[in-house]
Amino acid sequence: MAVSAVAEQPIRRKARLWDRVYPYVSIMLPILVIALFTIYPVLYAVRISFYQYILTKPKVHPFIGFKNFTDVIGSYYFTNSLINTAVYTVAAVIGVLLFGLAVALLLNTKVRLSNWLRVIILLPWAIPAVVAGLMWKWMLNSDFGLLNGFLYAIGLIKDYIPFLADPALAKLSLIIAHIWKEGPLAAIFFLAGLQLIPSELYEAARIDGGGGWRIFRYITLPMLRPIILIVLVYETLTAILVFDLIYVLTGGGPGDATAMISWFAYAEIFKGLNLGHGIALSIIIALITLILILLYLRVLRTEEAVA
Amino acid sequence: MSLKTKRNLNALLLNFLALLLIVYVAAPFLWMAIASFQGENELLKRPPSLIPQNPTLDNYNYVFTGKIPTAYEVKGQLRSRISQEARLIAPALKNSFIVAGSVMLINLLIATPAAYSFARIVFRGKKAAYNFILASRLMPAIAIAIPYFVIIQTLKLMDTYLALILIHLALTLPFTIWFLSLYISNIPREMEDASLVDGCTPFQSLVRIVAPMMAPGLVAAAAFAFMTSYNEFLFARFITQSIDSQTGPVIIASIAGNPDASYSLISVCITLGLIPPLILAVSMRKWLTEGLSASITFR
Repeated sequence: MAVSAVAEQPIRRKARLWDRVYPYVSIMLPILVIALFTIYPVLYAVRISFYQYILTKPKVHPFIGFKNFTDVIGSYYFTNSLINTAVYTVAAVIGVLLFGLAVALLLNTKVRLSNWLRVIILLPWAIPAVVAGLMWKWMLNSDFGLLNGFLYAIGLIKDYIPFLADPALAKLSLIIAHIWKEGPLAAIFFLAGLQLIPSELYEAARIDGGGGWRIFRYITLPMLRPIILIVLVYETLTAILVFDLIYVLTGGGPGDATAMISWFAYAEIFKGLNLGHGIALSIIIALITLILILLYLRVLRTEEAVA
Repeated sequence: MSLKTKRNLNALLLNFLALLLIVYVAAPFLWMAIASFQGENELLKRPPSLIPQNPTLDNYNYVFTGKIPTAYEVKGQLRSRISQEARLIAPALKNSFIVAGSVMLINLLIATPAAYSFARIVFRGKKAAYNFILASRLMPAIAIAIPYFVIIQTLKLMDTYLALILIHLALTLPFTIWFLSLYISNIPREMEDASLVDGCTPFQSLVRIVAPMMAPGLVAAAAFAFMTSYNEFLFARFITQSIDSQTGPVIIASIAGNPDASYSLISVCITLGLIPPLILAVSMRKWLTEGLSASITFR
């Protein structure tokens, strides 16, 4: 007995050390990869934003303090892209929420065609946003687009409509494509929320004589509230940061009608060739999203405190 | 109006709404597929024909073998609209598969143990590490595109698979770790506790007890990682320079950006590029839906 106890001790000590180290070993690789692509980019971006970095003047990088920021904020394009982004975000988020809610409610019923919808609803979510943008660019084409062809064939229009060449229609087109791409995820989230609502609640309401709208207003919506909040924030961030769709669908045009803030940052770097401006703008975008997220966490916390 | 007719009318309206939504969701896909079987002349008609008048495989034939579609030979003036670039779609999709497949596998291999530690083991610095991982995803892509470019250049990895894999890992790992640790913390502990008492190390208990129980979560996480990588465009656009590493979305965007591009060939490229994610989305619908639902309803 005594002999075996002596023999066991070093092994156990080794095991204890390994147990203590193991968690760190297990998270090390992911942390390393993430750190490389987080810490360095942030430091790099912050440093660059205080220097003049114009790509056509590769040898001159004087320190200019906050000039990149003041230049960017003072420009007409900044105000324009901020307004565009705000309008776009509000319209896109409302559209996605309504689409998601409509699809989720349909999928939660026994309506026959909803089974077909169920099979295909994930498809737009599953494909690259650039490809979604290209498909819609074609659907909306002013010379041979399918939408124009359809409206023409049923006699609603005599001449093809230049959807992407008109400032207002171009915005509308982007939103249609955006809802198509982002709506499905919202629908799946809402459906998950709907399925959590106990069916007794509906039965009780029906016995009490509640009609469809009243049940929706007084049971479904309040029960769905936490999920609506999460989707709202997620979709707000997605809409504010929209880039791929604009890159292929409108290129910020016509004129600057669809130049959103991410597009502005891209254009400063790749068209204006002013890295300092572009990075300063990116930092402003990062700060805006950060504020939104903090706001969201606060709302969520008060929500949980209430519940 | 009797109750029954009212109910029928209601069902009719709802079916109509469902039909509208189906058309909205499906039309772009169907049109791409239909267009890929039409000649250029037919596509540019007013209005375009929904059912191909002369269905042809010529466009696919050109992309895979380089044989110029007969439609172009007849109408000599359209020759310039043939896009050589369209022939790059096959190697580009191969690149996409290699990158997305590697990203998926590495995600499972290194994120699962990490997620398990976050969900089950108490250790100093856990909360800080977890928050750091989640917060890393809050940076807007456009803000980090240039620094990423610089990192990849410094590591001398421009235009390589490894560069794409590393960046896509940084993009996907936070979600995978968060999702899997959420999944694990919703699995009852009893079996694991028993195995730990029996002398298993945490890693052994993860492999033998937890991994089989979290199989649906692993499948969903793998699919999410694959799709994120397969679909990523912005960074792939910046750090790839040739067909050695350019992925599907990069090539498709570049072909379509060519003002002289042939629309039949664009539709072939888009159709081919969409087949993998669409197959994935349809065949794994149940897991994906459950995974997405879990990510929003788990607490």
